Amino acid sequence: MNKKKLLIALAGNANVGKSVIFNHLTGLHQHIGNWPGKTVERAEGTLHFKGYTIDIVDLPGIYSLSTYSLEELVSRKYIAVERPDVVINVIDASVLERNLFFTLQLMELETPMVICLNQMDIAKSKGVQVDVKKLEQLLGIPVMPTVAVKGVGIAKLLEKAIETIEKKQAKPPQVTYGEEVEEKIGKIVEKMKNVHLVYPARYVGIKLLEGDEEIEREIQRINPQIVDAAKKLAGEIECIHGHCCSTVMTSERYEAAGCIARAAQKLVSPIKPTKVERLHNFTTHRVTGYLTLVFSLLLIFYSIFTFGDYTSGLLSDLLYALEPFFASVLGTGFVGQLLWGGAMEGLIAGITIVLPYIIPFYLILYFLENSGYLSRIAFLMDNIMHKIGLHGKAFIPMMLGFGCNVPACLGCRIMETQRERLLAAFVVTLVPCAATTVIILGLVGDYLGVHWALALYIVDFVIIFALGRLAFKVVPGEPTALIMEMHDYRWPHMKTILKQTWFRVAEFIKIAFPLIIVGSLALKLADVLGWLETIASVLSPVTVTWLGLPAITGITLIFGVLRKELSLVMLAALLAPTGLASMTPVQMIVFTLVAMLYIPCIATIAALFRDFGWKKSLFITVFEIAFAILVGGIAMRLLTLFM
Amino acid sequence: MEKPNSNKREVPLTALKAGESGVVIIIRQGHIRRKHRRHGHIIHRSLVHGITRDSGFEKRLVDMGLTPGTKVTVVKAAPFHGPFEVLVRGSRLALGRGMAERILVEKE
Ligand SMILES: Nc1nc2c(ncn2[C@@H]2O[C@H](COP(=O)(O)OP(=O)(O)OP(=O)(O)O)[C@@H](O)[C@H]2O)c(=O)[nH]1
Ligand SMILES: [Mg+2]
Repeated sequence: MNKKKLLIALAGNANVGKSVIFNHLTGLHQHIGNWPGKTVERAEGTLHFKGYTIDIVDLPGIYSLSTYSLEELVSRKYIAVERPDVVINVIDASVLERNLFFTLQLMELETPMVICLNQMDIAKSKGVQVDVKKLEQLLGIPVMPTVAVKGVGIAKLLEKAIETIEKKQAKPPQVTYGEEVEEKIGKIVEKMKNVHLVYPARYVGIKLLEGDEEIEREIQRINPQIVDAAKKLAGEIECIHGHCCSTVMTSERYEAAGCIARAAQKLVSPIKPTKVERLHNFTTHRVTGYLTLVFSLLLIFYSIFTFGDYTSGLLSDLLYALEPFFASVLGTGFVGQLLWGGAMEGLIAGITIVLPYIIPFYLILYFLENSGYLSRIAFLMDNIMHKIGLHGKAFIPMMLGFGCNVPACLGCRIMETQRERLLAAFVVTLVPCAATTVIILGLVGDYLGVHWALALYIVDFVIIFALGRLAFKVVPGEPTALIMEMHDYRWPHMKTILKQTWFRVAEFIKIAFPLIIVGSLALKLADVLGWLETIASVLSPVTVTWLGLPAITGITLIFGVLRKELSLVMLAALLAPTGLASMTPVQMIVFTLVAMLYIPCIATIAALFRDFGWKKSLFITVFEIAFAILVGGIAMRLLTLFM
Repeated sequence: MEKPNSNKREVPLTALKAGESGVVIIIRQGHIRRKHRRHGHIIHRSLVHGITRDSGFEKRLVDMGLTPGTKVTVVKAAPFHGPFEVLVRGSRLALGRGMAERILVEKE
């Protein structure tokens, strides 16, 4: 029995806390935030417990097990095909009815289940008291109350899950539909006797009545008669109720969920609903909502800049004070020059330019994400997003894009159709990510003043909108409408935010710093050997003649494809000792503009490739390079008129 | 154009004012949106492309809890033809206007 492998899947509605639990159990870093649809791809991790090796799977949050969206289909197939030893159904105790609706569907898949009644703290503050014993009894499934963010109940949950597996509990009980529906399910199950699918027979019966496309297709292949018979039976139900059969069955399921919820919960008067409510009303109001949005974006911008600018200066004074010390240790010969001018200059540039901006940036972004503000912004921006052929939800990956384009591109999967995913991903690649922000604030903001940096952002937004509109013309189609749950605001869990920020920064240090050091060293070497001129001169028709930049930028912009901030960090290292100050204001603006637009970095291209294939990602890449060069050249000519 | 129904209390969700509630009667098929399109060719295109997708959206609305007989309360509508915020079964949903137009409710 020992050393056995187990598979446990976490399933449930969006935003109930599955990933928090997953992270607790596995020690991994799945994305956490307070808006629906963060986990778009199944994540796996392992855990050792009581002699078992347990694979834990975090599934995307879904509202139903139909085939409406890709995630629903994927999750359903996963549970049916992989047959986890137990499914932990995470539910939000404060919205019991909606969550139980999903639970009832999971039960139809007939895998062993345990219910994790999460967010007990929120339920309590909303005045919802859940009787755990009663719920357990009504559902016939073990229930474990938890407060995932605080880790309360997680260990017990795991124990309960293993206990359920060890006991080999019978399949969970089933919802019974109305008489006429049950009779029809029975008829189909009867016909299914000799048909074996990964799904249970009763489930197939239910789904055939509901007109589920995937199941229909599978049965069609085996025995088309069953599908025809089911269609006829569904027609009969439609006649009786006057609604389409799937609506009838969904209603009955909701009815059942509602009954259980009402029996198991007691509503006492809420302790503090008004504050959260008032904040919600204020931030989504037709006037104050938009004012808050603009005001908070400006506030974020200025505070990051002020903090970054100050710290950056401080750090650079500190680090450059080391130079005499280095010179005395390494000498001023070839090697000393190489090490100081290459590696150390690169490192200093990396530390002083990047870290002061990136750290506060991620802190604020994660704060916003965990507070629940993103879904409010999506609500406010819905009408504007319709102008570029998308709907409000697309604004969420755009906001994430400010942090990093890569998860943002993957996040575009929250859009409903392939066309919308592509449009949204295209727009996302134009959003200045944290690395681009470093360039904007660290170069233009630092040397020309914060207002120029702000102006560049505004120019970028205008460009995004214009190109989005253009893309909409190229890939036409009616935008689908927004359907999104807006979860209550909550005070973000600070530890989560700090952890996520730290994880980001650590990743940055691990990946970017070695790149910066090696890259700077290589460039310095090439410089000392006199090769740099040659490479730079090949690119000079574009960089020097058309864009009016120093020849050397051609090389650093190429490095920027790896990571965008490299283009600035290396430039700073190469232009030392005068540093970036040796560029003219126009050059700074043009350089930043080009760096902002010219190409999604290599990781983003890879993410695009994964979701959209090489043709579309290549097209986007080439288009953006050409566009950036075009805009940069025009900007240079216009700016020289004024500056 | 034909009137959706002679019963006056049966209105699209968009006709409710902030704070008002209604009970869902049915979710109309996509083609009703024709009324709101001025140019003939657009009508045609949205019809052809719309069919399977629209029925998918109807399913999603029902899955989110907007089953016939459910009480829906309109909290507010965003300006400039923006989405609606509604309360359904204890949770708060944002519904695009195109979506809300298709939900027929009986005003309470
Ligand atoms: N107060 C409180 N907040 C919680 C609890 N569990 C989770 N949260 C918060 O709920 C939000 C959603 O948690 P996630 O784990 O990201 O949700 P998810 O189920 O993975 O969501 P999707 O991936 O979008 O389907 C986060 O902001 C968490 O901090 C809890 O027990 N109490
Ligand atoms: Mg998740």
